[in-house]
Amino acid sequence: MTATAQISGAGLDEGTSSGTGGPVAPDSKIGEVSQRSLMLRRFRRSKLAVVSLVILLLMYLAAIFAGFLSPNDPAAVNQEYKYAAPSAWTWSGGPAICRVTQEIDPINISTTYVTNCDQPIPLQFFSRGYEYELFGLIPTDRHLFTVPEGRVLVFGADGNGRDLFSRTIHGAQVSLTIGLLGVVVATVLGSIIGTISGYAGGAADTVIQRVIEIIMSVPTIPLWATMAAVMPQDLSVTQRYFVMTMILSLVAWTGLARQVRGKVMGYASADYVAAARSANASGFRIVTTHLLPNAASHIVAVSMLAIPATILAETALSFLGIGMLDPAISWGVLLQDASRVDVLQQYLWVLIPGVAVVLAITCFQLLGDGVRDAVDPYS
Amino acid sequence: MTTHSSARDDDTIVSVRDLQVEFRTTLGVVRALNGVSFDIPRGKVVGIVGESGCGKSVTARAIMQIIEHPGRITNGSIEFHRQGGDVATSQLLTDDESAPADALTASGGIDITRLDPRSAAMRAIRGAEIAMIFQEPMTSLNPVYTVGSQIEEAILLHQTPDKEKARQQAVDMLRQVGMPNPERIARSYPHELSGGMRQRAMIAMAMSCHPALLIADEPTTALDVTTEAQILSLMRKLKAEIGMSIMFITHSMGVVAQLCDEVIVMYLGQVVERASVDEIFYNPKHPYTRSLLRSIPRIGMTEHAPLEVIKGSIPDPYTRVTGCSFHPRCPDYLGDVCRDVIPAEALLAGPTRHGAKCHLYTDEGRAALAAPAATRG
Amino acid sequence: MLVFVVRRLAYAVLTVFAVSLVAFFIIELAPGSAITAEISRLRAQGNVVSDQQVQALEEQYGINDPWIVKYGKWAGGLVTGDFGQSFAFREPVADLIWSRLGLSIALSIGAIIVAWAVAIPIGVYSATHRYSLPDNVITVIQFIGVAIPEFLLALAVMTAAVRWGGIEVGGLFSNEYRNAEWSAAKFGDMLGHLWMPLVVITVGSTAWLTRVMRANLFDVLGQQYIQTARAKGVAESRVIWKHAVRNALHPLVMTFGTTLSALISGEAIVSIVFALPTTGQALLQSLIVKDTYVAATLLVFLSILLVIGNVISDLALAWIDPRARTAG
Repeated sequence: MTATAQISGAGLDEGTSSGTGGPVAPDSKIGEVSQRSLMLRRFRRSKLAVVSLVILLLMYLAAIFAGFLSPNDPAAVNQEYKYAAPSAWTWSGGPAICRVTQEIDPINISTTYVTNCDQPIPLQFFSRGYEYELFGLIPTDRHLFTVPEGRVLVFGADGNGRDLFSRTIHGAQVSLTIGLLGVVVATVLGSIIGTISGYAGGAADTVIQRVIEIIMSVPTIPLWATMAAVMPQDLSVTQRYFVMTMILSLVAWTGLARQVRGKVMGYASADYVAAARSANASGFRIVTTHLLPNAASHIVAVSMLAIPATILAETALSFLGIGMLDPAISWGVLLQDASRVDVLQQYLWVLIPGVAVVLAITCFQLLGDGVRDAVDPYS
Repeated sequence: MTTHSSARDDDTIVSVRDLQVEFRTTLGVVRALNGVSFDIPRGKVVGIVGESGCGKSVTARAIMQIIEHPGRITNGSIEFHRQGGDVATSQLLTDDESAPADALTASGGIDITRLDPRSAAMRAIRGAEIAMIFQEPMTSLNPVYTVGSQIEEAILLHQTPDKEKARQQAVDMLRQVGMPNPERIARSYPHELSGGMRQRAMIAMAMSCHPALLIADEPTTALDVTTEAQILSLMRKLKAEIGMSIMFITHSMGVVAQLCDEVIVMYLGQVVERASVDEIFYNPKHPYTRSLLRSIPRIGMTEHAPLEVIKGSIPDPYTRVTGCSFHPRCPDYLGDVCRDVIPAEALLAGPTRHGAKCHLYTDEGRAALAAPAATRG
Repeated sequence: MLVFVVRRLAYAVLTVFAVSLVAFFIIELAPGSAITAEISRLRAQGNVVSDQQVQALEEQYGINDPWIVKYGKWAGGLVTGDFGQSFAFREPVADLIWSRLGLSIALSIGAIIVAWAVAIPIGVYSATHRYSLPDNVITVIQFIGVAIPEFLLALAVMTAAVRWGGIEVGGLFSNEYRNAEWSAAKFGDMLGHLWMPLVVITVGSTAWLTRVMRANLFDVLGQQYIQTARAKGVAESRVIWKHAVRNALHPLVMTFGTTLSALISGEAIVSIVFALPTTGQALLQSLIVKDTYVAATLLVFLSILLVIGNVISDLALAWIDPRARTAG
């Protein structure tokens, strides 16, 4: 046993896989694949996330081309179509809709609609309709489809006879961006504050953590609601939009800051940061070249998962009448119409904007999950 | 030249034959074990060595029937013979009527692969007959229960329903593994102990039901050198006192030299060589074993002489290597025969049983060697 | 442990104090005073508001005082239980709060119990049967459950109840019991009105907790100590319930605060739709009519509820996890 005892405890693993310049490297593909393409590969594998991404992209495209896709002016009130049902579809050398006439019952003061498919109204494509500005810049009156007479109501009409389909598409412009923008602002805030907290440590860290705890000690929706309610009443739609964004981000940054702080603290104790520090790199340099790039993908993943809550918040606040207000069109504003059970009973289609909300949020969740799994496969 | 897959010494506690384990993953099927056969003699320490991913741990988990999803045993047998041979084995079965009769083998043992992993019969073996300790002492104890209560749990399951007796026995076990102040340790939570202490506690837990076989899956890899030496000497002491068998999994040849009686060398889910520890170190036969030994520095080696490195790395687990699994990296590659034909195990002449799976020792291999050099790759 | 409890409680009091500052700050941020908004509202309703009344109101609310004095008055009222008068509800805020707080607490506790009672077993099933058909179905339901806004679900449930169940929903009591003495029948009637909002409030949190539980338990099942337990010969059900679930509960208890916050938020919105007299509903109602001082008071009360919940969760964590005990 004397000879064998001379053998030190050298591990086989070290001896074989990372030898002293042996012919290992040529066979090995490790290192040729970048971190980013590995993430992409992992992301593509989760089909639900990819499908969600496609659906969301379509929804955002619809929001961008809302004017073009809307057959009717979303703000055009017409009492002749008050709570009119979705158009009945038929075929007449192409897709067409049935004629609808309103009949008012003078005794019950209720309206009924009579559908007549004998003389269908054919759809016109790339036709002229109401005027709008494409991308908010180019004035035009071209639409994907219109009807020469009457109104084509894909999703039906609301209590003021406004086209719910056009309004839902236009609502996406507010509802899909306000939450997103809120999270973007929150991410910037959260990254900066979280990095300071995690990297500086000490008193700064303590103060920041206490502030976060205090904000988190107030229930979220009531806090958002209170802030939204003290908004001045005379704001324009655009001003209100930006104030809402600020309000959403003022609460949402806390969770993100905590996550960033944790990551930064983890990376800050890594050897390469110690090496940078011993090379006399400035704190700012260490943060911007070592910590943030490392934490970036994680921050993106966490931010994605924060989007559903902000979209839900905007919708809920607008529904309650303390978020976006009526001339503005958002899904929450549209759903105010659904707040009366007697209305819902008769005109179920006023819930359609709610379907859009659920679809968007489900997709954001699945996408966020997919991104997180791709970025942090082990968390 | 014989393949001794049917031969079994009477004094064998576990004999594994042609064991195959597959992991069906979304990326493909990984054949973790590809026909593994070996015996563990009673009262001996058998070392299992090999690179990471060669199937050492899977072999251990297969014997315990605790392979993680989606892994499963697809073929082969694991015959377990309890202490004192056939009589005791039948006692085990009468103790536990739920053990299916078809798990009984012709030689009076019990085939573990035929037991349902969750059955009472399997659980009666686990912990009581075969115990296991793991690589990571930091995570192998449940953080929310005291060390004492975790040892007691095993005793209460297999030894006595009396809680007070179990507690006493747990403290005794902690004392036996060299814990200072065992009463206090029994009341501690795992996070209050150091890595070495936790591994001792794990050993105490494993030994608490006096198992016939202890499977140690790299128990010292995560420990520092001093603690490693202490744990190894503890295991030597316990082996001498209790007389159990130990299956010791490691990737450290140094540990093998210190502790083991016999060595099994694994490569890519196969046993490529098995022999006594002296044979392995002084007379290695398989090119893989030789390469392993040459990659370790020795005292007395020429200064500056580079350590040899096994060329290449372990192939992607989803692809299957034809012929001898080591042929793409083998320094003694013989040509087509190595690439196409799976070598059978050759039993080599010598004072002890020494087997190697290599064409250097098969008839086909010798024929190829005799043929003109042109046929070689 | 006693030191830990006392320190945690003192800390909670400080947090409530800080929250009251935040709430007051938000209210003060509002342009114009709450009082002018109220006066113009009263005038708009056709009430005659004399200058004397205006002065009296200004006096009462100290409109022209520096903010620290105003805060002192308001916070002093908070501590002594004098919360002022609610314009929106036309009753003292104290009455408003005490009558509603009970229902809010009952709904929150009920929702938490239901959410945990449903989420834990389903999460355990999901984690131990990963990628099976039931697990996939559960996962899809979870995502939709989280994605439906509470008010939308409340509306849908109400509509369904009226349309197919023929049940009148909304409010706390049916008409015949509204002014009746408390009796078993009245209590039953109340429960009949409460279970639907309770379910609606709970859906989102249950779905989320199930997901957390599934992920946690799956992580824990991969831990070495689970294999240790199996290797000891512990039966699989005991491995899961004694060794794994106990450890998987830990993050669940840690997220108790988030869950409670979501439940209180949900309760506020759902109560609006179902017309239930809860604190959250009073808060939103006050905000909708711009009764901001009352809103601030109610906001502080909801925060107190959440802070107490957080204290309980910290104590529970110390109880289930020996590591948290020594760290605290």
